[in-house]
Amino acid sequence: MQAVTRYLRSLMLLELFQGLAVTWRFGTAPKITLNYPEEKTPTSPRYRGLHALRRYPNGEERCIACKLCEAVCPALAITIESHNRDDNTRRTTRYDIDLFKCIYCGFCEESCPVDSIVLTDIGEYHMEDKSEKVVDKQQLLAIGDRFEESIAANRAQDARYR
Amino acid sequence: MPIIEIIFYLFSTVLVLSALSVITVGNAIHAVLFLILSFFSAACIWILLQAEFLAITLVLVYVGAVMVLFLFVVMMLDINVTSAKEGFARYLPAGVLVSLAMAVQLFLVIWTRGMETVPMPAAEGEDYSHTSAIGELLYSEYLYAFEIAAVLLLVAIIAAISLTHRRRPETKYQDPSRQVRVKREERLRIIKMKSEGEEG
Amino acid sequence: MIEQLTTLLWTMTKITMIVLPVTIGVAYFTYFERKVLGYMHSRRGPNRIGPLGLLQPFADVFKMLFKEVIVPTNANKFLFLLAPLLSLAPALAAWAVVPFDDWLVLADIDAGLLMILALTSLGVYGILLGGWASNSKYALLGGLRAAAQTVSYEIAMGFALVGVIVLSGTLNLTAIVEAQAGNIFTWYWLPLLPLFVIYFVSGVAETNRAPFDVAEGESEIVAGFHVEYSGAGFAVFFLAEYANMILVSAIAALLFMGGWLSPFAGIPVVGETILGEGGVHWFLLKTVVFCFLFLWFRATFPRYRYDQIMRLGWKVFIPITIVWIMVAGVFRVMGWFGG
Repeated sequence: MQAVTRYLRSLMLLELFQGLAVTWRFGTAPKITLNYPEEKTPTSPRYRGLHALRRYPNGEERCIACKLCEAVCPALAITIESHNRDDNTRRTTRYDIDLFKCIYCGFCEESCPVDSIVLTDIGEYHMEDKSEKVVDKQQLLAIGDRFEESIAANRAQDARYR
Repeated sequence: MPIIEIIFYLFSTVLVLSALSVITVGNAIHAVLFLILSFFSAACIWILLQAEFLAITLVLVYVGAVMVLFLFVVMMLDINVTSAKEGFARYLPAGVLVSLAMAVQLFLVIWTRGMETVPMPAAEGEDYSHTSAIGELLYSEYLYAFEIAAVLLLVAIIAAISLTHRRRPETKYQDPSRQVRVKREERLRIIKMKSEGEEG
Repeated sequence: MIEQLTTLLWTMTKITMIVLPVTIGVAYFTYFERKVLGYMHSRRGPNRIGPLGLLQPFADVFKMLFKEVIVPTNANKFLFLLAPLLSLAPALAAWAVVPFDDWLVLADIDAGLLMILALTSLGVYGILLGGWASNSKYALLGGLRAAAQTVSYEIAMGFALVGVIVLSGTLNLTAIVEAQAGNIFTWYWLPLLPLFVIYFVSGVAETNRAPFDVAEGESEIVAGFHVEYSGAGFAVFFLAEYANMILVSAIAALLFMGGWLSPFAGIPVVGETILGEGGVHWFLLKTVVFCFLFLWFRATFPRYRYDQIMRLGWKVFIPITIVWIMVAGVFRVMGWFGG
């Protein structure tokens, strides 16, 4: 008797219909995937993306060539050369970051006494030639100038936790 | 020449050539494929004779099922061509005898009947169904022959199964229906016991 | 002569009118599959090319056509290139006898159902020869699996159709649909429910689709019979597989779901409005629903093991069909359900 009921039950394909119900439920559920280039997930102010060198509001570059970032960098991605300027302040002549070596740990930003080197929240960038992997001082300053507003806003937002 | 004759000669040429190729090509797979082609051409000729039921059944049964199994088996065989050709001289007399006998038979048939041309079957009306015509003949006039053929086939199936089917205790296999029937209670026993630290 | 030529031309036009929509249907079936699978996986599916990704199938086709056709070393070149066509041609040829409406059929032949069975059984040659001619062990294994599976399920499929033939008393597809006329409960899915289920599941197995896709079995034999195909050859195999799926769906709609008949026919109030009238749209709608079932199955069920497939076909489906053919005979004799 038990065998007969078991047989009939298996012929009713109950388990298969249960499985179909599961996929139907998921198929009709609203989708949470974002359409990436048009829609983006919100980024944290602490997001560690592309590097930038900042300036003071009067246009003077912040970096004083203390080389703390170069020393702390675990991936040895930063190369700095410095000289004394005419006004007898120390400034960098060369500030290169190798983006292929960089591991985006953010130690450079934390070590910087003048908040000069920062990691912006830009996560989308590319290079078309291998030689472009090293960004120099001028490029870094340009990035800083261009995104100063959002960099400053992100720093202000995160300031009370520092 | 009417178009139907062109089609007929086309298919019969293909049929004869492919039937010849079946026994002449070296590769066994190619031979099977030529056999399929000859079945197809035969079916096409039958369609010309308005026997579409038989033609489709030929394709369905022979091409669709039997030859698939043939191909299946031939693909898995490791045929050694040189050893197959070895006994050629030894079997030649018997082969010649058989083929001579067949040739004489064919010749006699053609000799007695002559090369008469059979007229095309008359076209039937729109709602004439060859399928039901065949069915009515099979189940009335030729019922006994039909049933005997069916019983013979059944006997052949049973014989084939009983000859090849054997229990092999050394092979391990799974029985899906038994696997499906397993219940939790048969496999799992939950025991209450104290954890190690508790007793002190 | 002129008359014959015009007949020929007119037939060619009709063939184009069928083959072209089927091909476009296949293209959008792949899109539909990716969308449905995506949604059931909590994804979005293709939505980049064109609005809602609707141009995706064309992008795929052009990608395939521009790819290089690579013939493996020591492969049998002729058979290798012939195999995709051998699998596509029967899948398209079978549409000749499919009636879309009571007047809309290319060849209203007497033994239409047999014709379809015969043609669908030929599709396996493409797979078998493609697997053999590739000179690759995975492809050969895939081809052999496909052949064994198709031959096994063809029997169950044929028997399931015998039930339909018993009830309708004809092999002509138009007549079979007309024999179902009445209301939704006189369609053959109800009296032949087990055969209907078996037919469709066998159809899934015949087209080597999930959960019976051991012929492809990407986890154990990479991609089975088409592992060595690239570019246009692969595209044609793909086309054949999907054309076969649509064909199986169309046949299921014709034989068990009343083809172009309206599901509202015979119902007092709704049946008298335009909804109650049959037409091509009902046939297409039913076909699409069956096509969707293919995709739903693929998204839901894990692949059967090879021995389980054989067991299901021979030990479960064939006995059930034989029993139900007897039941259908009883229906016929008692005069229930059409007859």
